[in-house]
Amino acid sequence: MRELFTIARKDAKVILRDKAAVLVMLAMPLGLIFILGSALGGIEESDAIDAKVAIVDLDAGETGALFVEALTGSEDIGNLFRIELGDDADAVRTDVERGDLTAALIIPRDLTERIAAGEPVALEVLQDPGSRVSAGVWAGVARAAVSAASSQIVFGRVLGEAVDVPGVAPAPPGDSAVPPQGAGGYVGPTLPMLTLDIVTVEPVEATIGTRISMIAYYSAGMTGMFLLFGSMFGAFAFLKERREQTLARVLTTPVSKTAVVGGKALGVFMIGAGQFLVLLLGTTMLFRVDWGADVAATVTLGLAEVFAAAGLAMTLAAVGKSERAVGGIGPALIMFFAATGGSMIPSAMLPEWLKPLQVVSPVWWSVNGFLDVMQGATLADVIGPAAAVAGIGAVLLVFGIWRLEYR
Amino acid sequence: MSTIVEVTGLRKRFGDIVAVEDVSFTIAEGEIFGLLGPNGAGKTTTISMVSCLLSADAGTITVNGHSTGRDPIGVKRSLGVVPQEIALYPTLTAAENLAFWGRMYGLSGADLKRAVDEALELAGLADRAKERVETYSGGMKRRINIAAGVLHTPKVLLMDEPTVGIDPQSRNHILDTVKRLNASGMTVLYTSHYMEEVEYLCDRIAIMDHGKIIAEGTLNQLRDVVGGMDVVTVKVDGLADETLDAARAIGGVEQLDRTDDTLQVLTRSSGSILGVLISTLESAGAHVVSVSVQEPDLESVFLHLTGKSLRD
Repeated sequence: MRELFTIARKDAKVILRDKAAVLVMLAMPLGLIFILGSALGGIEESDAIDAKVAIVDLDAGETGALFVEALTGSEDIGNLFRIELGDDADAVRTDVERGDLTAALIIPRDLTERIAAGEPVALEVLQDPGSRVSAGVWAGVARAAVSAASSQIVFGRVLGEAVDVPGVAPAPPGDSAVPPQGAGGYVGPTLPMLTLDIVTVEPVEATIGTRISMIAYYSAGMTGMFLLFGSMFGAFAFLKERREQTLARVLTTPVSKTAVVGGKALGVFMIGAGQFLVLLLGTTMLFRVDWGADVAATVTLGLAEVFAAAGLAMTLAAVGKSERAVGGIGPALIMFFAATGGSMIPSAMLPEWLKPLQVVSPVWWSVNGFLDVMQGATLADVIGPAAAVAGIGAVLLVFGIWRLEYR
Repeated sequence: MSTIVEVTGLRKRFGDIVAVEDVSFTIAEGEIFGLLGPNGAGKTTTISMVSCLLSADAGTITVNGHSTGRDPIGVKRSLGVVPQEIALYPTLTAAENLAFWGRMYGLSGADLKRAVDEALELAGLADRAKERVETYSGGMKRRINIAAGVLHTPKVLLMDEPTVGIDPQSRNHILDTVKRLNASGMTVLYTSHYMEEVEYLCDRIAIMDHGKIIAEGTLNQLRDVVGGMDVVTVKVDGLADETLDAARAIGGVEQLDRTDDTLQVLTRSSGSILGVLISTLESAGAHVVSVSVQEPDLESVFLHLTGKSLRD
């Protein structure tokens, strides 16, 4: 066991003395985060999201129509989302579950009646768990639009136009929910108890907290991608040792092959953990990125991906027979994981045919996990994605060890 | 002296190529045992099997009472290995390299520090301990390469062509180092294709060719194989094949082999045949460029046994 740590420490030292490796693992991600984040600006100010969403208005009255109008009539919202109108809630639900839709708003059948009765009512926002950024933005937009429409209804009533507002019945006599207005007092019909928050929007898949800026988005995305680059340098180190015969020499020492390969993987893990720490602190201090309140959740996701990088290192060393081959295969594979995982553009914007492949990308799981934590998710919420990343890492590690050639 | 390495009936194939065939030898404790042979003779394959880097297809190897098959870790604990390549980490310093290899053999703390210091002294590089190995000359790297194999003071040291590609000064330093290590009680298995090194260092020698041991013994025993014959080497221009037959027919010529424009003749009477040999060659139209006569050595033994030069 002690030899395992000796090998890991030595490998970490050798990799860290490689200036190119340090440049790729630390300087490049920080540079790209800065450039992409600065160039694209914050999500709220940009039209970087172009997600497909749907609205299903099941309301028999006209309040639902008012809400739909509030969402579809806005040019700003139209720039952000491609909105489809549907009439089958189950079908839309299925589309969201499949990832064909980023999100959907379901307006319940009895919306108008319940508002008229002064009962609270919740609208349902369905979210694709794989597109939480876009879906979260949609939930926020829906909430804002519904609030605006609700306030319009209330405002209309206050001005005595309640009769013109569809679905809102006059208040019974004696109801004094609305205080007298102006010096002369309120003289119109009394109103039911309708307030701005009588209609709420409830996200179904996740609770969306803070909206994230582009620089935060790319901090998660680039961290997710560049953590995997540690694997390439781990594979390089293994193949270089094999070529230069230091690996053969290590195998002549009284150490098991398990300790040797374990030490190699641990070396990559140690480097990756350090890299993750630097990126986490660097983006926090340099770009004021808020990685979320649950540090344990972020660290768990990061370490899970570093473990995946260690597994990928062994697979690359096994599959690529030379450093040159790994130099070709490694970046291609990492770029595939990063592109499908949302490191470069939000994964919801990817072509539909690519989306099923996302599940094999450790980047997809970890980046979405990072973004969820930024938006308020806790360790309990991201333990699944972290386990998925670690699972991919375990498969890569076992495959790599199985196929490794030592001479 | 007791036997510390015992190799019996060793065989190793790589596909259709037989790398080692029925190799057997023993090494006594405290001995320097040489494996001499040209490149591709099977020396490195043999040493790789002894160091547990390769498994044998057949045969047994015992080192310090441990079998490579049943107790490879026990074997490895008894060994120090100096590979043919400079198997060091170039971006680490000499001291860091040595400390790493020491830890791999279980050294730690004060023992490790002392071992590293002694190894640096042995290599003559104590004053450059904190410099990265990549800044060293080839000879200095070779010396650290050896130091890394001996800092844990193994019972048996395996050295595979440790002087390949270095300057004469470093070579002499390495040969002296091997002598010193042996004098301190370390048993050495030394492979080389340089007969001078093997003659200088080894108590006993096994000559390998095409995966087999073709002769084994002390230097004197091996010299006796050629029965006191000299090697006459003649460099010739314009040599025709039919001239060779005429030269072979000269009385006193025991064996004659040709490599390009060089003839090597084994004879017990070099003084008497030299004139006849030159006149035979000249009269056949060849031009003799140079002639040299050597007393019996491992080169002549190899020539006698295989019909070719060690350098071939």
